[in-house]
Amino acid sequence: MNEEMRELERRSRAAFDKSVESQDAATRSRLARARADAFKQLQRRPVAGPALWIPAGAAAAALVATVLWQREEGLPAVAQVETTVGALEDLDLMAAGDDFDLLGEDPGFYAWADEQTSDGVG
Amino acid sequence: MQEEHVNCSATLSATLSLGRCDGLREDTVDRERALDRFLAGIERRAFRIACIALRDRAEAEDTVQDAMISLVRSYGRHPEDQWRPLFYRILRNRITDFQRRRKVRRAVMAWWPGQETDEEAPDPFESAVDPRGRPDEVLEGEELLARIEELLAGMSSRQREAFLLRNFEGLDVAQAALAMGCSEGSVKTHYFRAMQALNGALGEWKK
Repeated sequence: MNEEMRELERRSRAAFDKSVESQDAATRSRLARARADAFKQLQRRPVAGPALWIPAGAAAAALVATVLWQREEGLPAVAQVETTVGALEDLDLMAAGDDFDLLGEDPGFYAWADEQTSDGVG
Repeated sequence: MQEEHVNCSATLSATLSLGRCDGLREDTVDRERALDRFLAGIERRAFRIACIALRDRAEAEDTVQDAMISLVRSYGRHPEDQWRPLFYRILRNRITDFQRRRKVRRAVMAWWPGQETDEEAPDPFESAVDPRGRPDEVLEGEELLARIEELLAGMSSRQREAFLLRNFEGLDVAQAALAMGCSEGSVKTHYFRAMQALNGALGEWKK
């Protein structure tokens, strides 16, 4: 990077810093409130109540039906076990109620993980 | 005698476990305080960066709040030196989500008969030519930043991210790579290209 670009780097950073320092009080206050809300949400993390168990129960019933149906189709015993364990892990993830933005977090990782699973079964 | 021994063990065990609980509680409180300090120190810069990336203050506030919640909820137990790149990784993902949603909304609105897409309409104040800005002047402060924001909006998202994280937020190459989810070499390339583009476009203002 040449001297001209370094100078631009320095000037643009100084301009940005100044714009941060000169933020108005209302914005600062809203940001502080947002931070406080983030900690409040941590204190009242949702506990799995009956409402959550109804769809989870329905999903579990559907899962059992699928497994039974697949057994009818004559999958090998090992594949059946792996399918069931994998599906139960998926169900567990969904029932945890955590942030579920999987693709948003790291698409490369999930593509890799999918390949690993496929390799294991096939 | 035997019973006494059992009782003493039980008391000691309870005391120890209570002590452990207190220790854990203290540890949690310390962590929360440290997280609070960290977020307080970063929130204003993060908001400005989100504003530049999204060009919408309300959406920027929402993304920063979402990123705070996500960091506090899911990554608070990570070592403190990882919080900054992790926070910016989350913020980057939220910004991308907002941008995708905005694109879908625009596509739907374009298909909907008789609906105006007011988001597309340029803000007359923003698009007005600033009479103070002339090529023979050295651009500084707000004017320089406004011009850079315009230029960043026209860059690829990777170049924009590299510039915002490296130059404005001051992350080093390794931290920026973690935040952007790419290699360090890729960060260097994107950052250099962004700087080159800015330098080229702003050249006329530096004479």
